Amino acid sequence: MTSARSADTAPRPGTGTGPAGAPEAGRPEDADPREATPRPEATGYPEGTGCPEAAGRPADVDRLERLFGDAGDPANPVGRNAVLAADDRAGMLAAGEDLLTRFGLNAHFVPRDLGGRFEQLDDLVRVMRAVYRRDPCLGLGYGAGSFMAAVNVWTAGSTGQRERLAGRLLSGGRAACAYHELDHGNDFTRAGLTALPGPDGRLRLNGRKEVVANLRRAETVVLFARTDPAHGSRSHSQLLFDTADLPAAAVRHLDRYPTVGMRGVQLGGIEFTDCPVPDDSVVGRPGQGVETALRSFQLTRVALPGMTIGLLDTALRTALRGARGRTLYGGRAADLPLSRTILAETFADLLLADTFTTVAARAAHTAPAQAGVYASAVKSFVPTVLIRAVQRLSELLGSQFYLRAGEQPLFQKLLRDVQPSAFGHASRVSCQSALLAQLPLTARRGWRADTADPLPADTFRAGRPLPPLRFADLAVSAAGRDPLARSLVVATASAAPDDPLAGSGRAWCARLAELTADASGLAPTLIGPDAPPYAFGLTARWTGVLAASACLNTWWNRPAEAAGSAADPAVTLAVLHRLGSHLDHHREPLPPRLAEPLYAELGRRLDAGLTFDLDRRPTGA
Amino acid sequence: MTELTTQTAQPTAAELVDWLRDRVAAQTGRPAEEIDADVPLNDYGLDSVYVFGLCAEIEDQYGIEVEPTVMWDNTSLAPLAEALLTLIAAR
Repeated sequence: MTSARSADTAPRPGTGTGPAGAPEAGRPEDADPREATPRPEATGYPEGTGCPEAAGRPADVDRLERLFGDAGDPANPVGRNAVLAADDRAGMLAAGEDLLTRFGLNAHFVPRDLGGRFEQLDDLVRVMRAVYRRDPCLGLGYGAGSFMAAVNVWTAGSTGQRERLAGRLLSGGRAACAYHELDHGNDFTRAGLTALPGPDGRLRLNGRKEVVANLRRAETVVLFARTDPAHGSRSHSQLLFDTADLPAAAVRHLDRYPTVGMRGVQLGGIEFTDCPVPDDSVVGRPGQGVETALRSFQLTRVALPGMTIGLLDTALRTALRGARGRTLYGGRAADLPLSRTILAETFADLLLADTFTTVAARAAHTAPAQAGVYASAVKSFVPTVLIRAVQRLSELLGSQFYLRAGEQPLFQKLLRDVQPSAFGHASRVSCQSALLAQLPLTARRGWRADTADPLPADTFRAGRPLPPLRFADLAVSAAGRDPLARSLVVATASAAPDDPLAGSGRAWCARLAELTADASGLAPTLIGPDAPPYAFGLTARWTGVLAASACLNTWWNRPAEAAGSAADPAVTLAVLHRLGSHLDHHREPLPPRLAEPLYAELGRRLDAGLTFDLDRRPTGA
Repeated sequence: MTELTTQTAQPTAAELVDWLRDRVAAQTGRPAEEIDADVPLNDYGLDSVYVFGLCAEIEDQYGIEVEPTVMWDNTSLAPLAEALLTLIAAR
């Protein structure tokens, strides 16, 4: 594949868009022998578009998959039995942590200019998704926590701080991201832990942080502290320090917080009493903390839901195996019409979540100033889709799900592990609040601007390289601009009359027009934390438009090699049908003409050992 | 930054404060005479992400780019007007 970084805007849909004669994507040199498996028949989604040979990341994912091996092998030290045993004792899977250290997972959190391998946000999600497929606790407890801490420093830290943290992570160390205080939840602007100058002028910590992953065992901490007693958005700062540099007598670790899900993740608390910190600890300028958090967490709000798709991947595989192995009413449970529908709908939910997060992750590169809106939209919507999907699969399994035998204990763990995605890092409501603050402005300014630019087309082409991620361009406010919604309008207007998705495009444009009218009139007094449910509902409608634009434009920008049998739009139609269901537009089950191709593809991928996401990579999960 | 701009002449500090006071009143649902130019906007519930809309109104009115952080750095209307006058003069 060529590495042209075209910044062209979305081309005319329905006319074929990929480079003529482009080779089939996604065949890394060191492909797994399972790659020799004949490819299942394509079903219409942009098959293989998520295998960007140019970016070189499928090789990383495939290498990680090979290290993890066959999850079903009872002798595998990182297999299913070992994961469940670790969960039973509420511990991290030590063999899994060793494996990830050998693999060099932390390098994927460190930007390339600091010696790491982090370049594209969607590639980081790919790698982490492979971890979540095996054990979500490993994903969150080994990896994601360090990345959450690190983005603060990559965004606002000095060169020295960035190099120091990069060195820590590249040598296999951990960083804890200490924001949370139980009294303030996601409202971190009220954080009460203080870092104020003592008699000698050095900052001294007083207060507590609670329910923070790896707080006890992380060598390095990014701590969010109040550095000014005044109210306002310039009263907090991040501090970066090594725990070894603190006087032990001023630090008290609190008891670990036991949890229902993600039981292995070590959630700790810490209490400081007049604890001095090294002089160069403040990240960025004093008082810049809220700004840094709002900017840097845009990346993690997209990445975490994207990683958690790996959890649903394994839940779906586990449920499908269970339903196939179960005989009911003289046949396989999986073959009952209701079962087929639930399985197909869950598959479509997974593809919906993947398409939306992938586009949002890539938009962080192509429209960094608007990444905040897309991150809040993803984090407010995708975890709910994932949780509902796992819940529905548990209904499919019925009493089997309840038994501690066979593969089902793994499913039970996944059902527990998926829960914190709803509130961890940023809750649905806090993300909707963030969207609400920008909604009337976007309605007045962005959606009515007939000449505004859509996103560059490569945003929707998962196999294409992206411009470098510029942390400095992440902005606290999208300033009312919404190029992803604009992409929906522009692409729909230029869709060929006989394009099978043109009707969907027009319907979503009509919804955007209704939303523009409703949101433009929203009183500014109704967008604060005490906003009524109606106002929050508007943000859900906005999120729906964005997700629809992501799905439609991914279809319209599918690579030329996806033509032929992949020109069948059934999968995109199914994904949009599910989107409508999640937004309460309707309560219809997926019609058989859309469900059956998905159900057939699901079985083919299970038999071929392929993931259920857009990438379709080999997996031993 | 100028899609909806109706660019106005350089205002005086007093004119700018008066205009801002009206906008803050509209944003917060309070009478304009209650808005004190030396009281932090935070006290009226305008802080953090809730200044974004006011930023856009200033941008559209005066044809300038206003980072929301300008409003975090200048927490009441009097210093905010000073900061904005510099931006307006430089447009």
